[in-house]
Amino acid sequence: MTALPPFGKPTIDLDPVSEQYEAGREQLGVEHGLDSVDLVQIGESTMELNMGPMHPSTHGVLRLVLDLDGEVVRECRPDIGYLHTGFEKDFERHTYQQCIPYTDRMDYLAPLFNNLGFSLAVERLLAIEVPMRAQYLRVIMCELCRIASHLLWYGTGALDLGATSAFMYAWRDREKLLDINELVSGVRMHTSFIRVGGLLADVPDEFYVLVGEVIKTFPKLIDEHERLITKNPIFRQRTVGLGRLSAEDAMAYGATGPTLRGSGIAYDLRKAKPYSSYDHFTFDVPIGRSGDVYDRYLVRMQEMRESLKIIGQAFEALPDGPVNTADRRVALPPRNELNTSMESLIHHFKLVTEGMRVPAGQVYQAIESPRGELGFYLVSDGTTRPYRCKVRAPSFSNLSALPHMVRGELIADVVAVIGSIDIVLGDVDR
Amino acid sequence: MSGARAADLLERELPGAVRRREVGFGEESVWIDRDALVAACTLLRDHPDGVYTTPVFVTAVDWPDREPAEPRFDVVYELRSLVHNDTCRLIVQVTEDDPNVPTLERVFAGMDWHERECYDLLGITFTGHHDLKRILLPTDWDGHPLRKDYASFGEPIAFTHNLEWALPAAERPRDMPGSTR
Repeated sequence: MTALPPFGKPTIDLDPVSEQYEAGREQLGVEHGLDSVDLVQIGESTMELNMGPMHPSTHGVLRLVLDLDGEVVRECRPDIGYLHTGFEKDFERHTYQQCIPYTDRMDYLAPLFNNLGFSLAVERLLAIEVPMRAQYLRVIMCELCRIASHLLWYGTGALDLGATSAFMYAWRDREKLLDINELVSGVRMHTSFIRVGGLLADVPDEFYVLVGEVIKTFPKLIDEHERLITKNPIFRQRTVGLGRLSAEDAMAYGATGPTLRGSGIAYDLRKAKPYSSYDHFTFDVPIGRSGDVYDRYLVRMQEMRESLKIIGQAFEALPDGPVNTADRRVALPPRNELNTSMESLIHHFKLVTEGMRVPAGQVYQAIESPRGELGFYLVSDGTTRPYRCKVRAPSFSNLSALPHMVRGELIADVVAVIGSIDIVLGDVDR
Repeated sequence: MSGARAADLLERELPGAVRRREVGFGEESVWIDRDALVAACTLLRDHPDGVYTTPVFVTAVDWPDREPAEPRFDVVYELRSLVHNDTCRLIVQVTEDDPNVPTLERVFAGMDWHERECYDLLGITFTGHHDLKRILLPTDWDGHPLRKDYASFGEPIAFTHNLEWALPAAERPRDMPGSTR
């Protein structure tokens, strides 16, 4: 995929009532008098207010120091680091396979993407191509995980704005996706399902039943979610025109994912730099028009449908074969070989105790997580442990644009803006 | 080849700035002069052949045994061009005694936090940054954890034979775990 238009036209009609949407606040009857610019001038003194770190709408432990002028935010200073765990330091004293469970716990709502990004980086250093079945299963599991993550964002984002029922329905549907995680890996969230060289194991037969059911039922369920929120006048009055981020600012802040695409830039790493055979599937990249909270909402809702398209195609074309590479630098020797071959036994022992040796060098592998560009910059010195692993977290860059987005907005709207950039504090702080 | 576009552009427009180019694993890294960093990034951002408008990250890699033959820290910048769909990697080398690089926050707004993180975890100072303070760790934290000479776990315990373990981190011998010297 080379000729990707950075300022493209929307690939699909995002909103059936787009004329009304284009006109924005006027058509919805929001008066200009309420616009933030006028209110900033009121009063001379400001008040400093602490929001968080224990605030239900900050989705974790995020502290915002707000300079308020009445109800208008003049300045916002995010204070992060409450969840900093030093994973990057931990990587340096663990073998490559031992790092995988650590990656799960960074972005804990999209653990499979973290597994995948790290595994792809190591596989590039080793020059390994994993079998096609493993690549397709990785795509299916990741896209299921993307829907689960977006459903959680949808539920909590709507809850922040007072729509309690949406939260219940989102949780109901997310549960079905977590059941699939549990089926294939034994755990619901920190799956460690994707490993260096392939997968934890092949999927059981019941997997086909559950995924087939998701493909069949989820389009209707997403319709149901959209009926609750998309045209809801209260939701629109709260979100249209709020927290605008222009395309230039989004790029300058390094915002990625739906936050960037909501601003009208059709950049998706799955299309721009395909990995794990994403180039085998056809799907669209939904983009917004004005980069406000409502646009980011529409983009994510459409992305769930696109994910379902990808899952359907990968599920139909799922090839047979092994799910782990046969490369002995990574793969354990088969069990029956250990009975007869001393060399295999030694090799098995060395792989388990010392770990795999990875050629020296540096790579940067980026993937499209539900929140944006998740990158692993991996430096190897030829030993069995990473020399340095920098995690480029999408939420970190997206959150750094928050002060820009909420300056001049009302304090109650800060909640809506935080919800719309979909941060995970485990990802921000690592 | 990712990054070759930026390397060619820099070599053509700022010939003195490029020190070394290296290709590995389908990516090209460019070692550039510290003094030319801001000019190079501004050029990469504004030139129509580059349009590297998006900062991806900045970090550093610590090679403590490399000095004095080569500087200790590699400060690594990754930039992305959405127009040309390309990523480039710039590397600036700084020594232990002078771990300063000019800030890029006025070139890319998003570099602000990334530079603070790099300062916090690796102790690289970004001169000219408007608010260079710790971002992930508490403000009174001692040392920079991602440096290789920072002990990753365990509390040092002093016995009669190793009383130097009782010294505060800044006064410990240089080759000792936990030393911040």
